[in-house]
Amino acid sequence: MSRYPRLQSLQEISEVMKRYYVQRSIMARLRPVAYVTSGAPVEILEAMGILTLYPENYGALCGAQGAAVGLCQVSESAGYPADLCSYARSHLGAAMSPKQAPLHGLPRPDLLVCCTNICGTVLKWYEALAEVYRVPLFVLDVPFQRTTPPEPHIVAYVSEQLHELIAWLQAHTGRRLKQERLRQTLQYAREAVSLWQEILAFGQHRPSPINAPDLFVAMAPIVTLRGTRKAVECYRHLKAELEERVARGIGAVPGERYRLLWDNIAIWYRLYRFFRPFMDAGACFVADTYTNAWTVALEVDEPFTGMALAYTGVFINLDLSTRLQTIMKLARRFQVDGVVMHANRSCKPFSITQYEVREALRAELGLPVLILEADMTDSRLYNDGAIQERIAAFLESL
Amino acid sequence: MHRRRTPLGFLTAYVPEELFHAAGFEPVFIFHAPEEYGKGRAHLPGFVCWVVMSALDQALAGALDRLGALALAKTCDATQGLADLWRRNVPQIPLFHFGMPSRLEGPAVKAYLMAELRDLRDRVEAFTGCPIAEHALWDSIAYYNRLRATVRAAYARVAEYAPSAFYAALRDLLRSHRPALPGPSPLPNAPRLILVGPALGDPVLFEVVEQVGARIVGDLFDLGERYFEADAAENGDPLEAIAERLGALTPTPTKYHAAHSRAARLLEMVRERNADGVIFARQKFCEPHGFDYVRLACALDRAGVPHLMLELEQASQAGQLRTRVEAFVEMIRGV
Repeated sequence: MSRYPRLQSLQEISEVMKRYYVQRSIMARLRPVAYVTSGAPVEILEAMGILTLYPENYGALCGAQGAAVGLCQVSESAGYPADLCSYARSHLGAAMSPKQAPLHGLPRPDLLVCCTNICGTVLKWYEALAEVYRVPLFVLDVPFQRTTPPEPHIVAYVSEQLHELIAWLQAHTGRRLKQERLRQTLQYAREAVSLWQEILAFGQHRPSPINAPDLFVAMAPIVTLRGTRKAVECYRHLKAELEERVARGIGAVPGERYRLLWDNIAIWYRLYRFFRPFMDAGACFVADTYTNAWTVALEVDEPFTGMALAYTGVFINLDLSTRLQTIMKLARRFQVDGVVMHANRSCKPFSITQYEVREALRAELGLPVLILEADMTDSRLYNDGAIQERIAAFLESL
Repeated sequence: MHRRRTPLGFLTAYVPEELFHAAGFEPVFIFHAPEEYGKGRAHLPGFVCWVVMSALDQALAGALDRLGALALAKTCDATQGLADLWRRNVPQIPLFHFGMPSRLEGPAVKAYLMAELRDLRDRVEAFTGCPIAEHALWDSIAYYNRLRATVRAAYARVAEYAPSAFYAALRDLLRSHRPALPGPSPLPNAPRLILVGPALGDPVLFEVVEQVGARIVGDLFDLGERYFEADAAENGDPLEAIAERLGALTPTPTKYHAAHSRAARLLEMVRERNADGVIFARQKFCEPHGFDYVRLACALDRAGVPHLMLELEQASQAGQLRTRVEAFVEMIRGV
């Protein structure tokens, strides 16, 4: 890897994440623990002092550590079909068989908070968790956003459920939500989101100081530590390092020749290895749709309407034409030369419209597009030979 | 005066048919086709179930051009994606998306569902250019209640019918509104099965059950018995009556209702009908039924009820299904 300069701040983020898991497993004995989905309004739980853990992030961790396949097999032998989401299969496998899981699984939850803005899969996954752990489940139902901005009755529905969630959390934990604390948490979340937006924008520089796999490592705090000072600190450091790279003209891929856009969740078991042939050909992924999902700004003055709007408007919950506009805008703003789309068998909301997006990118921007079928954590679905061949052909076409 | 109704295709088990009927449409369910036109795969990845793939395939091939519109409700991720693809690729058949909540209980649900129904009514009216009169809604509600009563009466004697004839009649009803149930043909001492799955399974499934000499005594198909189990009230506010009905049905696996458990309903059916076993017939790549299977199977295991999981694909092979169903039925019979 020596050819490619490393970002020190990523090391820091990795350390923070290691400490996060250790600390949470210790604190779990003292404070109530809630499992939450990646699109849940975590600021409310954070402000109430409830510890949050993200089974999706844990699924990614299992994938990155090469433990996912074994855990998926545990789920499959319990009856879960092998074509279900591999985050869910990994995590349910870990819940059923913690001894063979990284970190011996996540600490037991006291509560489950499932927000349906990212997919319908989480609903089934959390129902299963509620049975495994015999703990209460709150389903925050976020309707599909058909129009932008969403219809008022959708915002009212989500906002009403946020109030219901608070009452539910208070009833189950005895903790109260202090408005001042919520304001502070939202402020931190807002700051982290805004820093994250700035970090992503660095990809606009030529050469880009950051590559998509770097972002896949860097994104952990915006997901798991949103609303904390720690996330803000991590991103201040990363931003400073990127500023320095730009000032010194250092690119994530030295001799950057091609600028690419990535679509879909990362391939966690091949995080850097997957991108290596691209990097060796001078191609840098300067933008992606995945890490962009956490850039929705939060309104602090009208916290409930603000959260309802932000959590309804997550990228994956938007209608195709709005998502297409976002992708086109990214392609133009970051001046990309091509697009690589991961047809991720585990994630239907992200993958199901990709052929459509490909046609639009080709027709409207004349961009070459490569669609590769794989899976975010289940490496059994990764056909290395075929993928390498197609990557080589794609790079040649650029 | 009798006006000829425009056919409106619908997908999923939560479309308020009464509302479309009152607007002058004839709602007809779009079943997946056994044949493929070769149009869908250019638009959808291979890991989408055949039910969704086939709907798009038929539409792109022009096989659904008789439809004046299509309606679907928010259920699974694949169907949601289909709505997006439909809008861009099938412009000749306008789409109505109904944002059925994923949660069916809780203080906020009813107001949202009512607002969504009013919103849908407004969109339908804007499309037809004609307001839906309240009496038309009441007429359609009464019409569907009668239709459902017919289906419930048939289900009360489902074990007496040959499975393929019974479910073929049900498919026809959902496609043409004409109930045409053949005469019963009782088969004493046949193993009694309950079937679980999306939509109405697959015709090949019922043929296989019939061939091995078993009978179906109930089902938990999304468009099966549960779809007809509750009527809409015929007084008060018509949209509220429709909303109450949608919420009262045994949920499909895409919906959450803490107190209305599918497992409990299935066990209750097994006891009521004196069933010998349960067959799950899941479409490959169907996530909601894939997860749901484990919960239901665990409940059946605890109650000592035998069950079998079958995976349906585009071209489900009767031979393969038959071997497995035959072995299952033999086990039940204690052969």
